[in-house]
Amino acid sequence: MPASASTDPGEVSDLDLVKRSQAGDTRAFDVLVTRYRGRIYAMTYHLIQNETEAWDLAQEAFIKAWRALPSFKHDAGFYTWLYRIAHNVSYDWLRKKKIQGDGEFDDERTEHRVAAGAEATPKGDLAPDAAMRNAELGQRIQEAIAKLSPEHRQVIVLREVEGLAYEEIAALIPCSLGTVMSRLFYARKKLQEQLHDVYETSI
Amino acid sequence: MKHPSEEHNLIRWIDGEMNETERTAFEEHLKQDPALATEARQMRALSTSLRAHLPAEMPVPHADFFNTQIEVRISQMALDDARAKQTGTNWGAALQWLRQPWFALAGTAALAVLGFFLLNPATGDASESLILSSYTPNTNVQARTYHDNDAEATVLMLDGLDAVPAERKVSGISIQRSEVEPELASTTMYDNHGTAVLMISRDAFGNPMITPRG
Repeated sequence: MPASASTDPGEVSDLDLVKRSQAGDTRAFDVLVTRYRGRIYAMTYHLIQNETEAWDLAQEAFIKAWRALPSFKHDAGFYTWLYRIAHNVSYDWLRKKKIQGDGEFDDERTEHRVAAGAEATPKGDLAPDAAMRNAELGQRIQEAIAKLSPEHRQVIVLREVEGLAYEEIAALIPCSLGTVMSRLFYARKKLQEQLHDVYETSI
Repeated sequence: MKHPSEEHNLIRWIDGEMNETERTAFEEHLKQDPALATEARQMRALSTSLRAHLPAEMPVPHADFFNTQIEVRISQMALDDARAKQTGTNWGAALQWLRQPWFALAGTAALAVLGFFLLNPATGDASESLILSSYTPNTNVQARTYHDNDAEATVLMLDGLDAVPAERKVSGISIQRSEVEPELASTTMYDNHGTAVLMISRDAFGNPMITPRG
């Protein structure tokens, strides 16, 4: 499962903040929101591919977490627990959208105001043309992911972004281990088809 | 279409999930199947690109507003819960918190809670809530309010108030209308049954004085 963010030695631990939040301390909960909002938002954004909806769903996840705090038993890390909530909120949204037949999943995709790829790539190390190609590749990848089905997008995000083990993905979805691997295979296959010009020329 | 076991082996090879024996055997197999080897290399390159271009953490747009909205919604939920618990109780019980020991300890700033909720006397409509003024005797306490017409709720935020133990039950009251008596310099507030609940006036020093009624 995703690990908690590393904390500075002088930083208040998740455990302390959670206990204070469980006692009704909204300021302590605000610290937890600040600590994890970037990771939760990234997850919802990668799954939803819409900045506004991802923002709302990330917020919804924190609200649900607040309501569920009394039942949090500390047997799992707070972030792992929060992550499950955020994942379920986002995936439920995706499923509803699919049931409602709102069309292709890339219809309402909105580009994040920070260019795709910009945060994850080394800054200052690339020549301008290489940086541009890199940014374009990031954009292409985001567009390709937006065209995946919710199930395929889900396994890609859980594996490639969050780095979850197959067993963890199977437990979270939930489904069998074989299904996880099959979905990963076909999700990557579809991405490969959409990005064939990139990889056929570079390999 | 590949056999599922071949798909799974390919995925496990890309993800580095094979042990040494499995990896050696699979790479031998790739040498015998150039098409599969090309596909495997391309898929592994794709996987590397995905990891590089899909950040696990992203800046949240309007991050401060993100936190504030959560805070507001949590406060609204607390108000809704308090309102639900309050239903069916009489006002004497609703004002029980005025007599709680923590009330004095929390400082006179808590008085501002009551001073805030004055509804528009012209309409008597709870959805037309109007904050007329605020008063926090303790200057270390800053008061802010939010009103949501859809939720028919006004949220009062008091920053700087001493911590109130979580087990304390704090409930508010719902004011439906108010009447101002200029000659007495007082305002009487009524609930939705028309019962006078509170009267706000001034003491000899000109400070707000709140008197529970009924």
